[in-house]
Amino acid sequence: MPFSLRKIFPYLFPLFFIAALIPVLRFEDLPPADFSFSNGTEPQSIDPAKVTGAPEGRIINALFEGLYRQMPDPEDFSAMKPVPALASGHTLSEDKKTYTFTIRDGATWSDGTPITAYDWTFSWQRFLHPETAAEYAYQLWYLTNAEKYTGSKLEVGDKVEIELDDRQYPDQHFPRGTILSGLLNKLEKIKTGEKDKEGKPKTVNIYHVEMKPETNGIVDWKAAGELRKFTNIGTPEKISEPHGAEKVRQVLIHFSEVGVKAVDDKTLVVTLKNPTPYFLELASFYPLYPVQRECVEKYGFPDWTQTDNIVTSGPYLLDFRKLRDRIRLKKNPKYWDLDSVKLNIIDAFAVQSDTTILNMYLDGQLDWGNTVPNASIENLKARDVDNGTNELKIAPMLSTYFYRMNVNRPPLDNPKVRRAINLAINKQDIVEFVTRAGQIPAHSFVPTGLPGYKEGMSGEYNPEEARRLLAEAGFPGGIGPDGEKMRKIEILYNTNEGHRDIAEVIQSQLEENLSITVSLANIEWSAFLKKTHDMKYDIARAGWIADYPDPNTFLDMFVTDGDNNQTGWSNKKYDQLIADAMQEPDPAKRLNILSEAEQIFMDEMPISPIYYYVSLNLVRPYVKNFHPNIVDLHPLHIIEIDQEMKQEFLKNGEDVR
Amino acid sequence: MSTFLLKRFLWMILTLWIVYTASFFLMHLKPGGPFDGEKKQSPEIRKNLEAKYHFDWPLWKQYGYHLGKACRLDFGQSLKQKDKYVNDIIREGFPISATLGVCGLSLAVLLGISAGVVSALQRQTLLDFSFRTLATLGIAVPNFVLAGFAIIIFVFVLDWIPAAGWGKPINLILPSLCLSAPFAAYISRLTRTGLLEVLNQDYIRTAYAKGLMTPAVVFRHALRGALLPVVSFLGPATAGILTGSLVLERIFFIPGMGTHFIEAVLQNDHFVSLAIVMVYTVLLFTMNTLVDLSYGLIDPRVKLQD
Amino acid sequence: MTDFEKALPPLEKYAEMLQESEAIHGISLWQDAWRRLRRDRISMIALSFLIILGVLALFTPLLPLQSPKSQDLRNRQFLSPTLSSVPLQIKGLDGEKYDQQVSKLWHNPGFFDRMQISTRVLIFGDFSIPSLCGTDHLGRDLLSRLFWGARISLIVGLVATMVSLVIGVSYGAIAGFAGGIVDDVMMRIVDILYSVPFIFVVLYLISVLSEDEIQTWLENHGIHRIIILYIVIGAIYWLTMSRVVRGQIISLKNEQYVDAARTIGAGGMRIVFVHLVPNVLSIVIVYLTLTIPSVMLFEAFLSFLGLGVEPPSVSWGMLANESIKVITPLEIHWWLVFYPALAIALTLYSLNFLGDGLRDALDPRMKNK
Repeated sequence: MPFSLRKIFPYLFPLFFIAALIPVLRFEDLPPADFSFSNGTEPQSIDPAKVTGAPEGRIINALFEGLYRQMPDPEDFSAMKPVPALASGHTLSEDKKTYTFTIRDGATWSDGTPITAYDWTFSWQRFLHPETAAEYAYQLWYLTNAEKYTGSKLEVGDKVEIELDDRQYPDQHFPRGTILSGLLNKLEKIKTGEKDKEGKPKTVNIYHVEMKPETNGIVDWKAAGELRKFTNIGTPEKISEPHGAEKVRQVLIHFSEVGVKAVDDKTLVVTLKNPTPYFLELASFYPLYPVQRECVEKYGFPDWTQTDNIVTSGPYLLDFRKLRDRIRLKKNPKYWDLDSVKLNIIDAFAVQSDTTILNMYLDGQLDWGNTVPNASIENLKARDVDNGTNELKIAPMLSTYFYRMNVNRPPLDNPKVRRAINLAINKQDIVEFVTRAGQIPAHSFVPTGLPGYKEGMSGEYNPEEARRLLAEAGFPGGIGPDGEKMRKIEILYNTNEGHRDIAEVIQSQLEENLSITVSLANIEWSAFLKKTHDMKYDIARAGWIADYPDPNTFLDMFVTDGDNNQTGWSNKKYDQLIADAMQEPDPAKRLNILSEAEQIFMDEMPISPIYYYVSLNLVRPYVKNFHPNIVDLHPLHIIEIDQEMKQEFLKNGEDVR
Repeated sequence: MSTFLLKRFLWMILTLWIVYTASFFLMHLKPGGPFDGEKKQSPEIRKNLEAKYHFDWPLWKQYGYHLGKACRLDFGQSLKQKDKYVNDIIREGFPISATLGVCGLSLAVLLGISAGVVSALQRQTLLDFSFRTLATLGIAVPNFVLAGFAIIIFVFVLDWIPAAGWGKPINLILPSLCLSAPFAAYISRLTRTGLLEVLNQDYIRTAYAKGLMTPAVVFRHALRGALLPVVSFLGPATAGILTGSLVLERIFFIPGMGTHFIEAVLQNDHFVSLAIVMVYTVLLFTMNTLVDLSYGLIDPRVKLQD
Repeated sequence: MTDFEKALPPLEKYAEMLQESEAIHGISLWQDAWRRLRRDRISMIALSFLIILGVLALFTPLLPLQSPKSQDLRNRQFLSPTLSSVPLQIKGLDGEKYDQQVSKLWHNPGFFDRMQISTRVLIFGDFSIPSLCGTDHLGRDLLSRLFWGARISLIVGLVATMVSLVIGVSYGAIAGFAGGIVDDVMMRIVDILYSVPFIFVVLYLISVLSEDEIQTWLENHGIHRIIILYIVIGAIYWLTMSRVVRGQIISLKNEQYVDAARTIGAGGMRIVFVHLVPNVLSIVIVYLTLTIPSVMLFEAFLSFLGLGVEPPSVSWGMLANESIKVITPLEIHWWLVFYPALAIALTLYSLNFLGDGLRDALDPRMKNK
């Protein structure tokens, strides 16, 4: 070892330190934003077809726009109403199943090209396409044949489209390869001899298709055509060869069969399976926003969403994006309604910790904090009273916090036990002392506040009645018929302090009121989901946020074997009522049917509703046009800042806290 | 020395492979996958998702496919940060965690060694006693508590520093301080003990006998021997500190690797978490190799084995 | 009797000398260390504190504390330290009523705890110490929770210590002493274990352990989940120790006393464990005292993920973790931050002083001084 190296060794440490400071010195100086807010977790994507969350929604709502857009109702700011956006209006057919939208004149993409009805046919096709794997695809399944398209389901006699294996970029499904059309004559399922992950035998499809000629994009379905056999690209040679099947990328139901059609540049016709009174809400829901075909096909996913490539349609453009730090938005000069856009630069911070949000808000780094730590709610209320302001805005939301009960596991198979448990939970105490934000104790699964709808009733907190029901069920005083104590009931919840506190309180209330033993099991998120999906629990915590403002978004999940049922509960009458409501064109009658269904649900009680969520927003007094509402949506482009008030506010720095 | 490095490099490749394999199977064999959410997807959508990311393949085939890509340093697309490639995530996150880590670490070394030396030389005095008390607090008080109080004092009472965020040098101050506290405490304890040990040795007595002054003895002779445990500690600690600290990143809203990693693990974003594990392993290996090299540099008694 | 014989001490004197020399010879390193430790007052205070803490933790149910789990949302949320108390309302109950009240006041007491509880009721009746440390967000008594939390945290600390001591020290010492390929392989194994993130293992374990079949199997074999927590913590915490010990041993193994031991024919194992390990003990002890608090916080993290302590059981780590919620610029419930931190800090403080005392006492160069 050279001696000199030993000598210089101690000096390496300061060098190390100086090296670290180089990136610090290279920090760039950003101009301050006009408006900053906390956006929760980092958005998973800004491609409308790829995401499902609220933080993503806030960004996509600023960058893109749909046929309609949810805006505060000028008559009642706490309600939201779909208003025409990229469509200038619509007409609805007599049977309430066909919507004809007129696309707005002057609506353009951010690169200046006009927005046409064809942008929707492309975007919705992409949204529904199996290879897009959109988690929200079911939001469009109200359209005829849309579900079949996503699920690659086919029946003999269906018109089909065949995508040949000649894609420009093999790993991108748009632009698509050559598309052929035909009628499905026969569908063969052949076992490959392999097994899939669950051990079931794997099958491949051989499609026998009668080809139909296509001229200028119009398929002549009447013309006679040759018969060809196709199979999917993954089929082993040993099967495709003997059958003489050509390997192709996709065989799907012909997209012309799906209920969306562009008649011309300005007219979009949408055909629904059933009358859907909330379809305009869906049309203003961000997954259904159109994206630009040229951009998507040129760059492919995910590159088209990068700052330099993306083409958008909304009031804001993407200025830059720093992962887990911020998304900066700037005004879109080509937006059709430029006059209504008030703010030039907006920063959306991906802050997750609610304590940090509070700190940043109090320190003046945020103008709007989208949540508040539980422990600080009372202090913030008091602060508002002291300052004579209304910065903490609390509003009910269309979502419910509830406990699922596994009806396959005795003693929870007995509705009386389930009702006893529900009645023994003091929900008032929970909202008053644990969640403490003015949440509303829940008496039904569908939250209150939907106009024209009467929720089901599950009964108020009543320990006497609860004990009586438990005794009727055969467990007087928590002692079963065999003289043994009722078996221990386990409450499963996912790792989160809020859930833990509620579970601890409920545990103590059940033990106190029913003299039964309750244990808690806390488990990390994905294991928790696995256990609830597989129904390996007694009682499990859950929450449900409405997809659209209608009781159906809550109630249809509990039909027999529904994907999100997960309680094992099944009731024929309930299933029938939900199906009836789907078909009912008269809105008032429909709500009555749903109400009747919910009452059955509440009587049988496979879930215990705990409370209805509220939204908590902290907004600086100089921010105008921010209206707390039932879906917690706050269109960014109408927000205004009272500059005079802001200057004054900043001058009186001490009052900030 | 070059054979030593070559050998270490080969070891590193082997370790990387073992770690990759173990992590891969641990992640994939555990029930629950990246596509699970509060709202369960219908089977059709689920099937499409699994097909898109090859989750429908048999596990060994997925393993081969991803290992092959990883060998070409391509970790694919993130399953959760869908707009991003895994490599981009690391390229964005690592410099941030590393900057913060190096600042915290340098501070910790500086504070820790000085406090340790003073403690050892002034043994059983008030100074020693207060340094030891501070060190105890540095370890016993979790750094989120420290961060909470630091924010209240420096942000709200004194109003010197913005509450959170990243992008300005001033944002570095509080997180570096909080990050360094437990490490400084550790280092000062280790230095003190190591130094006390060495000060009893014959060669120190010889040095004093030669007429050297205390600082010369300590810095030229004693410290070298005393720092060995500190250096052993610093190897893994550096690898850990450079790859980010979840808690502090959360509190100070810093977009570093610690958050990326924990989120990726908890949400089953397998490709991101695997890539971060690989980065961590390479760092750990490099640091440990440096530590082993520096044993020889610091302490003349240690011979490097080729 | 000749003069010569007279000059010699009497036979008894020989016997005495022999006895004396035997006695000196018989003092082992450990006895000697204990002798010297006893003379160090601060260490003895620290040691007594730790012993008292351990005893109190063991006999917590015997103490006249409030219930660690019963909540009072309406009246006792976030009470700052106060002299008000909640009587247990258990005196005079018997049979089923008594059992019910016990299960309302204490979480799943075992046989040993039940005995202590009934003794407590006999001695103190309904009396319980007021909430001197305040109450938490669900209105539970913090003092009582600190005591119950000590039980879990101290065991966790002890287990981690024992495992790093036994596995970590011997592993590191053997690797360092053997050198060459053995050292290489052993240390690379440590590197690998270091690199596979423990969180993967923990999450995998959680999912495996939450399978119903495995849960029933464990219950039938009387293995509580918490045992698995101890194993996991132990398995993680010996790694650093082994690296540190190896580093020390490498620097010490060329010392003369090792050569000396080798020349008189001592075997490898003897050299390592009799001659080298005592020389690295001082650094080992410092490490242990530094590890314990981080183990306590680590336990809280594992419990948070779902491996380990389930509420309403409690540990110091969990109490410390809860304190993050009550530090906001608007209001600080200081007692919820201060007392858990104080508990951990005092324990650590005593451990440090005891560690330093032990270090001095165990120093082989000080032998027989």
